[in-house]
Amino acid sequence: MDMGKDTVRRNNVTVTGNPEGRTVVLAHGFGCDQNMWRLTVPALSDDYRVVLFDYVGSGRSDPSAFSEQRYASLDGYAQDVVDVCEALDLTDAVFVGHSVSAMTGVLAAARVPERIGALVMIGPSPRYIDDEGYRGGFSAADIDELLDSLESNYLGWSAVMAPVIMGNPERPELGDELKNSFCATDPDMARVFARTTFLSDSRDDLKTVSVPTLVLECTQDVIAPREVGAFVHRSIPGSTLVTLEATGHCPHLSAPEATNAAIRSFLAALR
Amino acid sequence: MSPLKIVTRDATTGPVLEVVGDLDFAHAPALRERISTLVVPPGRRLVLDLGGLEFCDSSGITALIAAHSHAQAARAEVVLASVPANTLRILQMVGLDQVFTVQPDSDAATRT
Amino acid sequence: MMCSAGERPDPYDAEDGGVPPAAFASLLEDSVEELYENAPCGYLSTLMDGTVAKINATLLTWLGLRREDVVGRMRFSDLLSVGGKLYHETHFAPLLRMQGEISGIALEMRQAGGGRISVLVSSVVKRGTTGEPLLIRTTVFDASDRRAYEEELLRGRRVADEARRQAEADRARLQQALAVLQQSLLPDTLPPIPGVEAATHYHTASSDQVGGDFYDVFPVDGKRFGFFLGDVCGKGPEAAAVTSLTRYTLRAAAVHDPDPVAALTTLNKVLHQRYTGSGDPRFCTAVFGTLEPDAATGRVGVHLGSGGHPPALVVRADGTVDPLHTPGGLLVGVLPTARFVTTTAVLAPGDTLVLHTDGLTEARTGSDRTSLFGEDALRDFLAAHAGRSPGDLIGALITLLDGFGDGLDDDTALLALGVPADRTTPDAR
Repeated sequence: MDMGKDTVRRNNVTVTGNPEGRTVVLAHGFGCDQNMWRLTVPALSDDYRVVLFDYVGSGRSDPSAFSEQRYASLDGYAQDVVDVCEALDLTDAVFVGHSVSAMTGVLAAARVPERIGALVMIGPSPRYIDDEGYRGGFSAADIDELLDSLESNYLGWSAVMAPVIMGNPERPELGDELKNSFCATDPDMARVFARTTFLSDSRDDLKTVSVPTLVLECTQDVIAPREVGAFVHRSIPGSTLVTLEATGHCPHLSAPEATNAAIRSFLAALR
Repeated sequence: MSPLKIVTRDATTGPVLEVVGDLDFAHAPALRERISTLVVPPGRRLVLDLGGLEFCDSSGITALIAAHSHAQAARAEVVLASVPANTLRILQMVGLDQVFTVQPDSDAATRT
Repeated sequence: MMCSAGERPDPYDAEDGGVPPAAFASLLEDSVEELYENAPCGYLSTLMDGTVAKINATLLTWLGLRREDVVGRMRFSDLLSVGGKLYHETHFAPLLRMQGEISGIALEMRQAGGGRISVLVSSVVKRGTTGEPLLIRTTVFDASDRRAYEEELLRGRRVADEARRQAEADRARLQQALAVLQQSLLPDTLPPIPGVEAATHYHTASSDQVGGDFYDVFPVDGKRFGFFLGDVCGKGPEAAAVTSLTRYTLRAAAVHDPDPVAALTTLNKVLHQRYTGSGDPRFCTAVFGTLEPDAATGRVGVHLGSGGHPPALVVRADGTVDPLHTPGGLLVGVLPTARFVTTTAVLAPGDTLVLHTDGLTEARTGSDRTSLFGEDALRDFLAAHAGRSPGDLIGALITLLDGFGDGLDDDTALLALGVPADRTTPDAR
């Protein structure tokens, strides 16, 4: 029980929605935190019990729990998912993962199959870097550029943001003052997450998926192009592919109605 | 801890150093330094007046031994004057009361 | 939409000291449209999906693009470098969606010639009357200089981080080396002595300094065992060198002649020869002794000598504590010839011989840390623990040392050699 409480605090776990409903776990991707689901939660909370959390190193998770070694591979992030599932003693939950979290969900489902009964993958990509016979959309040099971009934006943030991220009670005014606080995180931890995300190769793990799976892709997504969506759909037999009329990598923000409708109809069909 | 003060004066017998304050790890090197530059003519006497000594540990004892070696090399002698009771006890414990001539005060120590 | 500057109320009126007519005329030529197109920053309006709807001349010039190739044809993210695109998709766009505005984000834009331009981007979502998002307005500032400056700062920080890591690693390595050196000055294990239990403890005051305390216990011949414990004056690597010399000199001397005076005299000669005239006199205090167990009586004879060291203490089973005085024993290494004094004692079952260095008795006590623990308090403490085994006694002394906290600022060595109490006759004296 104590370990469960620790996980709840560590991963800033929030449980909302209908306590009687089937549990839906919403997992954010690289860049932001559980706030990303702001427009998704209202569409689910009447019928489903909704679990939100922040990966260690993101949002308002406990920064002291971060370990570069653990989070140097997606297994570390998948363990966060497993820990959350175990802390809440979930059975047969639906895991909704955005971006890299779609793959984290695949890894977690393989470890605790009894706890995760279905997957929704929003903008998934099992590998971002091009490979022989595979187009992920990026070169290794592109990923280095992203790491540079992170660095240049965190320069201004790190010192100012630290008190907010750490939840410094002595300077509550900072929380209101800083407009860009949602996606703020410790720059070193963000760099680890970025590196782990964009250098990962989970193509083989897709074959382990044996639960009902919905793949959601956008018509225009720089990060997860349609070829990648097709690859994921092809690699998971029996999966459903839905292409949303949306641009960008975050359809749950840019096209919330269509995204919510697709998730809801998938959930309804599960019963 | 009080700082170390060393006052040097000349008596007919030779130099007299009044040592006031603490002779510890931090301050004893200052006394050693002073003594190493001190000229004691052969046959004369170096008097260390310890009446103002407040604290003395093994570093202080080392400084006193350095004074002894310095004087001996110059074929002079060393006399300790006004040694506080606890320092005298330490000197006795380490057997140095046999090595140093100890006088009650610097008047007695500078008497020819 | 457009209004000529001339229609505005004239801020300068006809007051004295106003703007000269020629300069004022040039102000009049300005227009909002002109300002939009040629402002010293880039302007950009896009649809919610990022498609560029309007872009000003300044930004087109910076990017080396023609308006007709951009408007309606490219999205904002198409203008960015790949790293910028990724950052845009993972941070910028979601934040803008959630907050309606975002400011001061550093991105890189691509130039037609293949170059890059570092920019600072701020965006705000313009909403319709019912709050529905209509378009995104974006300003772009040339941040090349700021970026270069930031890169300097980042490089500086990386160098400083690296230096700090290096310093921490160096310190850890030094501490490890010192710990190994310290261990080499002490025996790994003590030899079993028939009828005697031995226990030791070494307290290191600082992990950054090698201390100068030492001890050892070793077999001498078929029936006797040698032991010593002492304190080299000073700290640090020089003191450690003296400690090492001292330890091996005493061990070697004991092989030749285990008599305490002979061993201490040899050590005195070696230290004096080595360090006199070096300008850095080095010496130590030491107790050296031998134990001779008598299997017939269960008693153990002690023969020890001391050079300037605090007296060893015999803790009797009945609670008396006998100091083994050796008056006149001189600091070792001070004079070319030194006098050492020996004494003897007999340990009966339940008695323990305790040797210590003065770190213990010179620990500062009291709330203001001005008084010393002292010899008398040590004797009382040992008396209160009489009858305990050497291991228990050392354990109690370790607790005592721990209790001194920061009042204990010197290394401390402890050695206890005792005869276990005779269990068949608990009252044996």
